[in-house]
Amino acid sequence: MSDEPVVVSTSLPWGDGPYSIKRHGVSLTTCESEPTRTPGCIQSHGVLLALRPSDLTILQASENTASFFPSSPEALLGQSISLVIGQDRLPQLRELLSGQTVECSVKHAFSMLAMDGSTTLDVSMHTNGGVLLLEFEATHHNAEHDDRDYFSIVKSAICHIQAANSLQDFCKRVTEEVAKITGIDRAMVYRFHPDFHGEVFAESKRADLDSLLGLHYPAEDIPKQARDIYKRIWIRPLPNAAGALVEMTPLANPDTGRPLDMTYCSVWGASVMYTEYLANMGVLASLTMPILVDGELWGLIACQHNSTIYFPHQMRAACEFLAQVVSLQLKTVEQGEQLIYRLRLDGVHQQLVARAAQSGDLMALSDSHPSLLDALDASGAALFHLDRWWCSGKTPNETQLDELAEWLNGCSEFDSATRPVFATDSLARSFQPGAAFADVASGVLAVRVSRKRRDLILWFRPECIQTVNWAGDPSSKPVTVGPNGPRLSVRGSFELFVESVHGRAAPWTTLEVDSALRLRMLVMELVVSRSERLAELNADLTRSNDELDAFAYVASHDLKEPLRGIHKYAHQLLESAQLLDQESRTRVENLMRLTVRMDSLLDSLLHFSRVGRTTLELEAIDLNEVIDEAMEMVGSRRSDCTLRVDVPRPLPTWRCDRVRVREIFTNLISNAMKYVHGTSPHIAIGYLVPGEVGERPNAPAGSLGHTIFYVKDFGIGIETRHFEQVFRMFKRLHGRDEFGGGVGAGLTIVQKLVQRHGGSVWLDSIVGAGTTFYFTLPCGDEASTC
Amino acid sequence: MLRPRQGHVLVVEDSDEDFETALDASRLANVINEIRRAKSGDECLEHLDDLQRHGYALPILVLLDLNTPRGDGRDALRGILQKERLRAIPLVVLSASSNSRDVRFCYDHGANAYHLKPVSHVQHLRILQSIFSYWLTSAILPEHEGTTRS
Repeated sequence: MSDEPVVVSTSLPWGDGPYSIKRHGVSLTTCESEPTRTPGCIQSHGVLLALRPSDLTILQASENTASFFPSSPEALLGQSISLVIGQDRLPQLRELLSGQTVECSVKHAFSMLAMDGSTTLDVSMHTNGGVLLLEFEATHHNAEHDDRDYFSIVKSAICHIQAANSLQDFCKRVTEEVAKITGIDRAMVYRFHPDFHGEVFAESKRADLDSLLGLHYPAEDIPKQARDIYKRIWIRPLPNAAGALVEMTPLANPDTGRPLDMTYCSVWGASVMYTEYLANMGVLASLTMPILVDGELWGLIACQHNSTIYFPHQMRAACEFLAQVVSLQLKTVEQGEQLIYRLRLDGVHQQLVARAAQSGDLMALSDSHPSLLDALDASGAALFHLDRWWCSGKTPNETQLDELAEWLNGCSEFDSATRPVFATDSLARSFQPGAAFADVASGVLAVRVSRKRRDLILWFRPECIQTVNWAGDPSSKPVTVGPNGPRLSVRGSFELFVESVHGRAAPWTTLEVDSALRLRMLVMELVVSRSERLAELNADLTRSNDELDAFAYVASHDLKEPLRGIHKYAHQLLESAQLLDQESRTRVENLMRLTVRMDSLLDSLLHFSRVGRTTLELEAIDLNEVIDEAMEMVGSRRSDCTLRVDVPRPLPTWRCDRVRVREIFTNLISNAMKYVHGTSPHIAIGYLVPGEVGERPNAPAGSLGHTIFYVKDFGIGIETRHFEQVFRMFKRLHGRDEFGGGVGAGLTIVQKLVQRHGGSVWLDSIVGAGTTFYFTLPCGDEASTC
Repeated sequence: MLRPRQGHVLVVEDSDEDFETALDASRLANVINEIRRAKSGDECLEHLDDLQRHGYALPILVLLDLNTPRGDGRDALRGILQKERLRAIPLVVLSASSNSRDVRFCYDHGANAYHLKPVSHVQHLRILQSIFSYWLTSAILPEHEGTTRS
């Protein structure tokens, strides 16, 4: 309805000729095609004459000239205006015409007596496109109006309006003042929404009338032609909607052939649609003034009266002036209101982020007070964080949210460098599945608050139909049939309108979108500052790792140097000092043995310190090969031992670090070998997949979902109370040289290596029967095929 | 058996004990070449510079301890690698470190062999002996320019 209608003139009832409401208006079925600026008719309470400005000859006259003047229109056409206003007023008229700017601007020219002498007429004039229009209206004198000092009235009205503390208050005061000035039954501020449907935003009315406050009306109720006219004029009076229409004679200007443009006339002929519309509402008179902000129609000051009421020109001038002041003032009031809203938004958002910073978590945004919903005017909010949804208010369900988030994450809006935000007032129009939850989320405002993870903040608004109080319920009130048939009645176009606002929410204002963006910045800064902290900690860790490395290096090299020296001198002492007795020789030999042991302790320490830090190189490894290699390494150490290794079934191919897993097996096998006994010692190596039947004693809770590997010996066993100790660094359960010796770091390293793979290691043992070490390598569970 | 080569061996070693062990090993291996000592990586580079400047023969083998004070073995390796005429000298690293990073570094920087210094004196001697016999008799080394004045 907002587009300029395409009018094919030949299809219209008036063909190529001029339009007249009286002749053609009734046959119209829609507002779109009606030429409202050239109605061809005027209201019957006034008389309109159209003159040629150069010689003041009457070119067109309303049919009702006889009601004020003794001449029929035909008698006036082609005559000088002096025939109507008298010779003596001609200079005055000429002066007004040349002096002031009257092009499209109505001026009160003078007052005069009608021919019968009983009525005083107010004469106003303006020019429009080379035509001079003179309007004659009865003054409707009454004592009250005559004595009014409109200047003081408007002055005090403006003072009263300016004292408003909110937009709502401001508009309410406007209606009060307009009602006071006009004495009208109902004065309203009617506010347009971006889709041009409107809402009664403020109202002052006679106490016995029903309130219309808060009711919404479809955009079609004030069609585009009407809205365009309100951008040009400051006042539109209709004193008697039921009054007869009076046609112009002739309909077209004889000089130009064009119909008369009545945009600026106060006696304009009102469309039948409009008068029927008012009649359906029980209204007989109306007075309408536009509220223009930055040249756009913000709303209307709409007044209605249930009986005929005349608006003298001074009163109209006062209202016109008031409308202009309101228009100028409203922007300031609105900006003030927006500033307050913005401050509230930013205030709450800052509070939210401050709390999130404290708790170290974004959940604070949705689960406490104030929450996301306390700031932005939305009915629901959802936060996607830590891989789950945190919702407040009315939102789609989580499955719907997931679907929406997935779609949103593909939206290019988030890639914008300056405004990475997604805002829509009708989600289903761009995201079809959104239709399923249009009732709660037709409006969606979304920002992404992390770069890598897909954390989102979403706000939702329901579709307008859900929230708006529509004037007239189409389901309970049948379409009213007007006096001219079932055309546009009050609710005639309602169904059509519902269709057009279906799935549409109140749009997000620039202010709201900006605020969402600022919140995003705050959250991102929070995340950035946290990752900076993390980077610091990482740097610290790297530093201390480097220090540990340096320490291990010192241990391995610098401590070994004197050790080598000691060993050397002990050796030389032993070789050269033949004189030493056996006891001394033994002591020197022990000294040498201890240096060697010290050496291997240092090696283990160095090795252990490196195990935890080197990066794993994960790849698919055939574990059977790894076992073979491990056996070879272990076997070369203990060639004296004929050990049997049972592998009940081939091991799987596993995603892991080959070198390190080999070390796990090497350590476990060599450990097992130390403790086996009997004539034909053997060990077993195998695995259990999750759910497979088999013993898993002592298995930690987290390990059951993973494949468990084991190395089992049939050796001396370990007492249960020592289970923990076996993994301790340099902790040995036996004498230094029993069971093949060793420094006691092997199992500690195994534990570390298993942990590096994300797994755990544990054991079960029966003294005298043997020990089984179990471990998991979870990093391979998903990737490997067993 | 090949005839032992002419020329001197440079041992870069800050520890007196370890240098003594090197001398012991050279005797056990019947090394006839002169053994010279530098106590640090810097000293090693200075020595080589001097030889070059005066046109003297360069060492036929450098035994390098990795961790010495005042410019360690790594600095010596880097310095030698930078000078084209020094690059041909066989460099054998002896170190107490089994760190794979060290091993990698040395080979990357032109070392010809890397050996661990064991704590056991006997093993230490054995390793040094094998180094001497391999590099001074078995291996064929490049001819060095300059006056042979040992």
